[in-house]
Parts: sequence; structure tokens; C-alpha cells
Amino acid sequence: MNKQPLFPERGPAFWLTGLAAAISAGTIGLLFVSLVVESVPVFKSEGVSFLWGTDWFAGEVYGALPMIYGSLMVTGLAVVMVLPFALGSAILTSEFLSGRVRLVVKAAMELLAGVPGILYGLMGIALLAVWVRDLFGLIDGNTLFTAGLLLAVMILPTVMTLAEDALRAVPGETRDTALSLGLTRMETVMQVVVPQALPGLAGAVFLGLGRAMGETIAVMLVIGGIDRIPQPWFDLFASGQNIPSKIGREAAEALGFDLQWSALIALGLVLFVMVMTLTTAGHFLLRKAR
Amino acid sequence: MPLTYPVKAVVIISLVLLAGAVFVTLRPGGGTQVFAEETTVIRVAGSTTVLPIVSRAAERFQARHALVKIIVNAGGSGVGIHGVGTRRFDIGLASREITLKEKHRYASSHLQITVIGRDAVACVVSSEVFHGGVRALSKQQIRDIYLGNITNWRQVGGPDRPIIVIDKEVHRGTRHVFMQYLFGKSNARAPGARLVTGSNNEEQAKIAQSDSAIGMLSIAWINDEVVGIGIRDGERVIQPTLDNVRTGRFPIARNLNLITAGEPQGAVKQFIDYLLSEDGQKRVAESGYIPIQLPHTVSWVAGSHSK
Repeated sequence: MNKQPLFPERGPAFWLTGLAAAISAGTIGLLFVSLVVESVPVFKSEGVSFLWGTDWFAGEVYGALPMIYGSLMVTGLAVVMVLPFALGSAILTSEFLSGRVRLVVKAAMELLAGVPGILYGLMGIALLAVWVRDLFGLIDGNTLFTAGLLLAVMILPTVMTLAEDALRAVPGETRDTALSLGLTRMETVMQVVVPQALPGLAGAVFLGLGRAMGETIAVMLVIGGIDRIPQPWFDLFASGQNIPSKIGREAAEALGFDLQWSALIALGLVLFVMVMTLTTAGHFLLRKAR
Repeated sequence: MPLTYPVKAVVIISLVLLAGAVFVTLRPGGGTQVFAEETTVIRVAGSTTVLPIVSRAAERFQARHALVKIIVNAGGSGVGIHGVGTRRFDIGLASREITLKEKHRYASSHLQITVIGRDAVACVVSSEVFHGGVRALSKQQIRDIYLGNITNWRQVGGPDRPIIVIDKEVHRGTRHVFMQYLFGKSNARAPGARLVTGSNNEEQAKIAQSDSAIGMLSIAWINDEVVGIGIRDGERVIQPTLDNVRTGRFPIARNLNLITAGEPQGAVKQFIDYLLSEDGQKRVAESGYIPIQLPHTVSWVAGSHSK
């Protein structure tokens, strides 16, 4: 048998698709490199205190910790809040609903997943912030908690529909075998189907996490916009700031200029690294789960 | 797997279209060239205080000048000045003066100010606070609220509720003017703040939504739910009214500025001239601001708000 060449066929299709792939990969690479290059000035000027500093005042001092804290907090909150509902409804849809109803639910969820963030933002500022304030007896509803809740609502359709796909991907024979061995329906789902679908379920959650972490406009409208870590730090009913919202609020003013621009780019870099770390960790866990 | 004929056709057609699109976009001057001789586009952006005037004026101006297209965007005074400084906009809107720092930063753009109206920044509160008894505050009281020394409305004669102090993004014109008045420093800090907002709309909405908020807002944006309170000076209370601004009694007044890079020219000049005309000045009044009596251009003198 001949050794297979690395690229077996080099027709026009190869070059065209190769070009497309190279452009895609190159874009990400270029993005990362330019993020690093443009954020050098702020690291030079602020040093590591850029990452640990708790004070950010354009033109004076740039400390990113409140934004990093806010991003982690609202994303974490969103995942905690979305998990039971997304997994529950995914299991119901995949395992207990009849074919037709299932298709309707799926279609509705996929439609919802495509709703632009600004619409959630508007609902958030008009209704959610007020509800949170009244429900918890707060003096104001623009809080980290509100942002986390809004993000949970936003990523619910994405996580649910992806989780459902993962559950459906478990072969029918597995269920039949489990049932024929005398397991109840519930045992089959919880002890056979879900464990098998675990990598896919984790993938669904991580994709949702990615969307939540990068979501800008909806969060911007309800988080309060103040660059401060609450006292005490676990006070979720205080206002805060996350990275995308901070960049969204200051970018137009600083575009391409000065230390402030560099600081915003560095914030972007931090966000990029955070999302990448999560995704990589996700893949690592997935491989282990298999 | 070999592609079937119709699929192949679709792939080829899309590739040709894509290549065509890339070619048209990359060609120097491509795309816009068709319109270049006919339509002039004026790009305007910045202060959300000045924006209503310019939107109204742009509508009328475009009705008369079919070949001019005016694109108006928000963003805040800092964005307007920055945008003109970097030549991304033709006209920047600013509800404050150009700071010394901005002046140096964009020195090569020779920023030029044209004043088109007058306005004032009022200290505003949620209507519930106003009806709860807070009709006026002294400068020192407002200062203490923004510093976090006064945290309950009870301390200034209002209802027993914590104060929601609303600050604005640092580059905003309204904040510059308000902080200059309170602390004598346009970029003073406000450690007592709980929320930070951006545009006038956003600030207005958040104050209206709350029953215990305080904020800073252009007087044209005051309404039933967001009430402008008086400034107490000894025994005197000065209300934020257009009259008091006109006569110079109300202490937090400001110019509404258009910023251009150098002397305005061509269609930009025509549009600015229109804004300064009688009809244009009517749009200023219509937006709730004070028209200026004598149109005049002031070139930047390190703004009084830039210490």
C-alpha cells in the first residue's frame, strides 16, 4: 500500500477551501496578536496592578479587577441558575415527549436562541430590574444578580437545545437494553442516558457560558455600570461591572488613542484568555469523561 | 463523493458572486464612487444633549438639500470630540468645552467650536423624593451626597430611604459641567455613587424607575417623574428654569457646541449656518434649550472646565 500523501488531491476545490480555512484561522491568530500588541502600553505603565488593581478612572489609573470579578460572578450565577432548568427541560423533551411535541419545543427553543441580546436587555431594564428590586426588597434593581438572571434566561434556549441534542445522540438500543434489564424509566435516564451524554451536556453548558461571558448590551443595561467590587465581595445584590459592558461604555471615546484604549484592549485580552481557558478546560474534561 | 449538477452550479454561482463582491469592495473608491458626485454625507455624533437639536435640524435641512445626507449618532461629548479629532466625524456634538488634554491630543485637527445654544444642568431627583419634601438642596448637600457622606434622604428633609446616587460615564459633558460646579474639577470622583449611566435617556429612565434616586440632567430632559430641584444658596433658592439660565442666575449653565476640525467648509458649513439661522435657532428652542442671540464662532480657548 502506498503511503497516503498529506493532501491527497490538489484540485481547485482544495485551494479554495484551503484559502477559506487559512483566512479563518489567520483571523483568530491576528486577533490574538493584535490584542497582545495593543495592550502592551498599559501593562508597561500599570504592570501587574492592571490585573489586581481595584480602581479604574480613565486618564488616571487602570485596575481591571472589578470587571474581571463582575464577569466571573455574573457568568457563574447564570450557569448555576440555568443548569436545573436547561437540563430538566432537555431531559423531558428528549426522553418523555412524543415526536411531534418534541419538534415543536425544539423549534421554539432554536428560535428563542436567536433573539438578539438587545431585546433581552430592554426586557431586563423595563421588567426584570424592577421585579428583582421589589421581590428582594432592594433599594435598586440594577445589580450583579439581575445581570446573572438575565444571562441565565438568555442562554437557556441555547443550553437546552444543545443538551437535548446530546441526549438524543445516545443510541436507542442503550435505552432498550437498560429497560429490558428491569430499570425504571427514571433510572434509565439518570443512570444510563445522562452519563453517556455527559460530554455533550458539558459542551452545551460551555457554549452557553461562552455566550454569557461575551454578552454586552443586555448586561450593560442592568448591571449598574459601576467599576467596584461589592462590600462584602459576595453581595450579589450590589451594582457592578463586567468586561464587555466596560468596553462597550468606554470604547467609542477612546478609539485608537492613549493608555485608555490600550487598557480596554487589555480587558478584551483578559476576556479572550478567560473564554479560551474555559473552553480548553471544557474539552479536557470532556476527554476525561469519555 | 462527486457533487451533483445543481449543487455544483449553486457552488460556482456563489463563488463568482463572492469574488465579485470582494472585487467591488476592494477596488479603490469602489461602492461609494457612484454617488460621489451627487451626494455629500455629513457624519455627526456625540452629546445626547445636543443631539435632539441636530436631528430636528437635519430633517429640515435634508428636505431642502436633496443631495446632502446627514447621519446623526449618539455617544456622548467625549465621543464627539474624539471622533472629530480623529477625523471620523465631520461634526462633533459637545455639551461641554474641550478639555486642555483633548486640545493637546488633537492639536493637529485644529478643533473649532461653534456655539448653537445654551443649556443648564439641573440636579434631578425621583418624583417620589420631590413629593416627599426635598424641593431644594445646597451645593454642600449635593457634594456630600456624591461623596457618600449623606446616604439617606431623611438627612436632607426627605423620606426615610437610602439615596441611590447616579453618576455618569466620565467623558460625558453633563458630568464635566456638574462636577466642575460641585467640586471645581470636571473629572472629580464620586465615591458615593451606586449606578453609572451613559446617555440622557438612560439616566432619565433609571431615575424615573427608582423612587429614591438623584442625578444630573440637562434641563430640557426634566419631566414629571424626573424633577429638577432648586439650588439653595443661603436663604435663596434658584430653580432650574430657562428664565434663570437666560438671566445667568442659575449657576450650572453651559454652551451647546458643535466641534469641527478647522473652519467648517462646504456642506458642513451650510448645515452649521442653517443651525445658526432663525429657522435653525427655532429647532434649538423646540428642543427645550435657549437659542443664542448673536451667532458667533469662538475658537478654542482652553475651556474653563478643564483645570
